Amino acid sequence: MSTTSHDDGRFSRRAFLGAGIGGLAVGALGGAGGVAWAHADADGASALPSDGVPSTTAYPFYGQAHQGGIETPQQRHAIFAAYDLTVSDPRSLQVLLARWSAAIAQFQRGRSLGAVEPTRDSAVPTDTGEAADLEPAGLTVTIGLGPGVFDDRFGLADRKPAKFAKLPALPSDQLDPRLTGGDLSLQACAEDPQVAYHAIRNLSRMAQGTATVRWTVMGFGRASAGKGQTTPRNLMGFKDGTRNIKEDADFDAFVWHDGADQAWMKGGTYQVARKIQMHIENWDSDFIADQQSVFGRSKQEGAPLSGTHEFDVPDFAKKGSDGELAIPATSHVALAAHENNGGLRILRRSYNFTDGMNENGQINAGLLFVAYMNDPAAFVTLQTKLGRVDQLNEYIAHVGSGVFAVPPAPASGSYVGEALFR
Amino acid sequence: MQSTLSLRTRPVRVVAGLAGVLGVVALVAAGCSSDDDTGKPGDTPSSNGVSKVDITLTAAGGTDECQLSTDSVPAGPVTFTVTNKDSAAINEVELQLNNRIVGEKENLAPGLSPVSFTSTLDGGAYEIYCPGAEKDTVAFTVTGEAAATPTGSTQALLAEGVDEYSKFVTSQVDAMVVGVDNLKKAVDSGNLEEAQKAYATARPFYEKIESDVDGFVLPGFKATDNKGNLDYLIDMRASSLDPAVGWHGFHAVERDLFEKKKIDDGTKKYAAELATNVGKLQELSKTLEFKPEDLANGAAGLLEEVQANKITGEEEKYSHLDLSTFAGNVEGAEQAFADLQPGLDKIDPDLAAQVTAQFDAVKATLKTYQDTSVLGGYELWTPELRKTDATKLSQAIQALQQPLSKVAEKVATAQ
Repeated sequence: MSTTSHDDGRFSRRAFLGAGIGGLAVGALGGAGGVAWAHADADGASALPSDGVPSTTAYPFYGQAHQGGIETPQQRHAIFAAYDLTVSDPRSLQVLLARWSAAIAQFQRGRSLGAVEPTRDSAVPTDTGEAADLEPAGLTVTIGLGPGVFDDRFGLADRKPAKFAKLPALPSDQLDPRLTGGDLSLQACAEDPQVAYHAIRNLSRMAQGTATVRWTVMGFGRASAGKGQTTPRNLMGFKDGTRNIKEDADFDAFVWHDGADQAWMKGGTYQVARKIQMHIENWDSDFIADQQSVFGRSKQEGAPLSGTHEFDVPDFAKKGSDGELAIPATSHVALAAHENNGGLRILRRSYNFTDGMNENGQINAGLLFVAYMNDPAAFVTLQTKLGRVDQLNEYIAHVGSGVFAVPPAPASGSYVGEALFR
Repeated sequence: MQSTLSLRTRPVRVVAGLAGVLGVVALVAAGCSSDDDTGKPGDTPSSNGVSKVDITLTAAGGTDECQLSTDSVPAGPVTFTVTNKDSAAINEVELQLNNRIVGEKENLAPGLSPVSFTSTLDGGAYEIYCPGAEKDTVAFTVTGEAAATPTGSTQALLAEGVDEYSKFVTSQVDAMVVGVDNLKKAVDSGNLEEAQKAYATARPFYEKIESDVDGFVLPGFKATDNKGNLDYLIDMRASSLDPAVGWHGFHAVERDLFEKKKIDDGTKKYAAELATNVGKLQELSKTLEFKPEDLANGAAGLLEEVQANKITGEEEKYSHLDLSTFAGNVEGAEQAFADLQPGLDKIDPDLAAQVTAQFDAVKATLKTYQDTSVLGGYELWTPELRKTDATKLSQAIQALQQPLSKVAEKVATAQ
């Protein structure tokens, strides 16, 4: 990190970021894997948005146990992008991962990528500039490697973790090939959507000639809860993420890869991204009892239908006065609960999205489902079950999909995935 | 495209400084060559008469720094080996003399192998420029006299390229005058099929050079009046229609020939006017003078035309000959680049190789659409084909635009 200012403003998005580090309070935020640098303004506490972090928050990129954007308290906005590699030599892939890593380190510090306004008239700006006056906004960018990285193009086939492969076709899949797959993924999350957009735009620009953008989703509101965060709502109006993974021990058990079969993945994880279309108009005309039956929870409180409060442990055996199960067996909660899946859990880190209207005059919106787990089979198991009988299937369609191996964070002087090429 | 040529709205582009620039080069007289050999830190300062300088980029001390193993070497060949130890902020290093680039390395990032470049340097006060470093300029002294007279300066190579390119532009304008005259004759004859063929033949010439001539305004007209804007009068499209001036030029003829499929007195009037205006363009184009960066910016401008108007199918809305004009834009851009390449090879051979590779990729992609049985020699860019293939073509052009956009700065600041 820099401890001095760049007062010319060419490389420092805001001069105080560099200058003020001596005055920064350093503290662990809510059990997050990363340590946040919070700006110690007198009004720092009052600037804290509910469930968010101050916009001055800058997460370090290098030297962490894990990449950011996984255990990091979930930011409000996200852009997810999947890329196809257009090269077939390992050197080009290395250069891209190294340049992405260095650029992400700069962006997460709230800095620009080189000059916004070059001094030479004939120079093209290296940074596109739209984040020039913005704070770091708690930005994290997470790099993922798709199954294609381990095919015969890059000589990395023997580095492929045993459990890593393209997701199989799953029940109820309605995948659009244009929204599916990808050799690389970037997940940019921030408290300011323009900061996230700037990161993805510049990283995509940097990839030109090496990789092309395959699909993107812009998430505008968090739809999963991290530790210490209130549970947000998805676009169906229901709380999402009440029973999410929040404790370190559960991260160790269900999220972080132990590196057993591939040492380069130790401290990494797998990312599953699904673009889930919601049939919004149909849902909005459904009566409340059915909506609650679909989820297995009450709408306002978010309580399991077997209880009264959001965090009541669901009782899947409890029956109502009519003799029927209080939480229907085909409800989303019943099918997804770890109690009914041999203890299986995944970290959900989803966002709501909207793409305006579709070609049929319907609202094009839904959930950018992003989940992290130490074995992609966990998602396959859960979605196989959900895809078969979930009542929710009447109101949603999985239209986009990708699975990515997420290496651990790089040490200083290295880059994400560097260990793969040794 | 937006004006990549600074004098877009003026009738004549005149370059005053070329001779002066060449004079400076003669005084400086330093050759430069590069290679990618990986040097090892800790090499002796000189081996086999080649001085060795290690440049280390680091943030270990808390600030981003550009450190040199030595700040002074004797005149002669010098190999610079750049290692980015752990600075995320610095991704480029340049060796400069009098604010001109002598050698450089880009795309540096922590974790990548060291890279080298070698330059033959005369005595002088040089600078190592590391944008992003806390102290971004480090003094570097070369002692002694000129080792030997270099065999050719980069500026001289670029000047030769500019001459070549001027000849190319003249040849294309001359060919366009002939092509448009044939189009006028075919229209006058009333033979629709012949006129369509003549249209397809005449079109690509303008597309090869349009970024060089799109700023022409006829004498006596304001720059804001499209009535005097030759580019408008020759190449306006439905999507750029100025209601105050109306339809003119190639696309007015195209609309009659391919949409109405009928030649009438209006068509003949459009064709005759087009021939007149192309003649005026020929006269004005004789006054064109270029700087090396004009070629680079012009090439970039032609690719912007591809992205903005060809991929979208706007350019040849009625004839769907967009891929033919697309190929014209690419050919014009490649010609401009090819004329700069001998000079660019001296400045930044990596970049020259990248641009060449991406031109090859674009041409290979375009080739898959060639069809000599179709007017214009390429498949028609129908809405159906556009739906399935636009992404592929656009991404190929994007991959070329990225390295090509860096060429202007290199040639503008060359030794």
